[in-house]
Amino acid sequence: MSNKRKLKDCFYQTITYFAAFIAVATLSLIFLFVFINGYKLLDFGLLTNDYYATFYNGALEEGYSFSSTLKPDSLSEDVHYSEKWGLGLVDDKDREGNSIIIIEYVAEDSPLLLMYNKNSEEGIESIEFIEGQLISKIAYFDKGTSLTRTGAKVMISDLDSTETIREIVYSSLGGGIRGSIITTFYLIGITIAIALPIGIFTAIYLNEFAGKNKITNILRSLIEVLTGVPSIIFGLMGLAVFVPLTIKFTQADSANLISGSFTLAVILLPVIIRATEESLKIVPDSLRESSLALGANHTQTTFKVVLPSALPGILTATLLAIGRVIGESAALIFAIGTAVKDDISIFGKSTTLSVHIWSLMKDEPANIELASTIAIVILMIVLTLNIIIKLISKRFIRDLG
Amino acid sequence: MSKKVFEINNLDLFYGDFQALSGININIENNKVTALIGPSGCGKSTFLRSLNRMNDLIDSCSITGEIEFEENNIYETGFDVINLRTKVGMVFQKPNPFPMSIYDNVAYGPRCQGIKDKKILDKIVESSLISAAIYEEVKDRLKANALSLSGGQQQRLCIARAIAMEPEVILMDEPTSALDPIATLKIEELISDLKKDYTIVIVTHNMQQAARISDYTAFFLMGELIEMDKTNKIFTQPTHQKTEDYITGRFG
Repeated sequence: MSNKRKLKDCFYQTITYFAAFIAVATLSLIFLFVFINGYKLLDFGLLTNDYYATFYNGALEEGYSFSSTLKPDSLSEDVHYSEKWGLGLVDDKDREGNSIIIIEYVAEDSPLLLMYNKNSEEGIESIEFIEGQLISKIAYFDKGTSLTRTGAKVMISDLDSTETIREIVYSSLGGGIRGSIITTFYLIGITIAIALPIGIFTAIYLNEFAGKNKITNILRSLIEVLTGVPSIIFGLMGLAVFVPLTIKFTQADSANLISGSFTLAVILLPVIIRATEESLKIVPDSLRESSLALGANHTQTTFKVVLPSALPGILTATLLAIGRVIGESAALIFAIGTAVKDDISIFGKSTTLSVHIWSLMKDEPANIELASTIAIVILMIVLTLNIIIKLISKRFIRDLG
Repeated sequence: MSKKVFEINNLDLFYGDFQALSGININIENNKVTALIGPSGCGKSTFLRSLNRMNDLIDSCSITGEIEFEENNIYETGFDVINLRTKVGMVFQKPNPFPMSIYDNVAYGPRCQGIKDKKILDKIVESSLISAAIYEEVKDRLKANALSLSGGQQQRLCIARAIAMEPEVILMDEPTSALDPIATLKIEELISDLKKDYTIVIVTHNMQQAARISDYTAFFLMGELIEMDKTNKIFTQPTHQKTEDYITGRFG
């Protein structure tokens, strides 16, 4: 008998250990996959750069003199250097995996620093020519153009064998996700600003003011049903309702941040209502009673005693909501668009980090590396928000006891 | 001849179909401690809660008969319940301070009545805490969270919170049942002090407590008032056999 029981215990324990192991291992593997794929591209430039490169067309005025700077020792073997033009170039790959030529070094006496903007309409205008930019082509008067695909070495030898330059086309690095990050934060802010007050007050109504009758129960089950509706259906609703509405009443002319925020707010409402209601429910009735016994009316009791006691739960609801905003992509494809933008306007199309991942992965071939890097950024944002809200709610809980 | 604060005539109380109180007739005297005793489920807490209409919170609860507070029937339509509750305070079984500072707990009631002046509030808080015999223990940490106090201190804080409204009556629903003997003793001393200024109605399961602190004792059984008299008389020569059986521990 005792042996049989031991065996049974052992069996159940093994199952729990095994299940826990699988769960933890799977989660860790996902994180590992994302980090291994993404960490190479992760740098500060990625977060602050524009997605689209700015192109410059530079040309030289007559009367320049050549550089006389020797190749500095700090430059490595890979850097190809032209003493005449004071320019060091290196081959590299961009975040999408294309070959590029990066300006690694510009000597102080390089004639290229005197270039003017060929495309300027306001006469001669000097332009920025700095390390870190990409050279896409150099055109000459006396021979064929050298292009990115010929490589840095050929480009330098072409430069060394000429005296004049017709045009240099170069650009900033680009490929950054600054726009998507800003859109994500805008979206969080606007969505929470819409959904949180409505959600909290609805929950207060349902839990504190509404009579306990059939209608309230039906309302409550409807809200629960909404929690389970796939978000892409809300996305369709956003496209059908909020996009036309925002086009009608604002200066927007397509899907935009506002319509996206409204759509997300609708998705979040049931989540916020339920979480808030749960936290209101666990406020002990004795607090309500003692407030009423002190001659406070129902409204005072609700807002001065019940709501503050439920605050930690409401903060958790907010955190959940923010997580949903950051993670949502299906609904936003319709409601906000997939256009990666650098200049964010709340009335224009733009894209969040999650939708950005979706855009990267839908291309052939999919850019898994950059997608993973964005995933790391998302994870870091969620983690930071999590910690901040935990700290705040800890403070509240300490203040509340 | 002392004044009557509450005059209860033929009070019947129902929870749905269940009759919890039947035909209660009691007068509650001014500046006296009235103890309500009886076995669990006899209706004494229900009776106490009907005195400040806390039973209103229970949907299925209905009442017939009269409860006159200062010669007004409190169950008359249009009666100002909020006003009643400011005059009839209540202390509950479990200490239930609000999750805020000690100061805010005591100032809660006055603030709900619209008192905003800091000086007046300070004065009310201080005098209430002094009356509830807890001021010396908390005067240096009025901003501390009320939940950091011990159970006995929390209960005295709840009494201070009730006193802050300057009520005429304080209803106490087994205020010491969740406390240890020392905290209980402090509350009992406090009750004896408070009766100079307030009328107190206390529900208790502890017969010794009723004997120690009350002037009048009412014995409830199965929703009926069996007997009410001076505490001395109830505990020495009860009129009813049932009362004697209960207080001598033969049942209940």
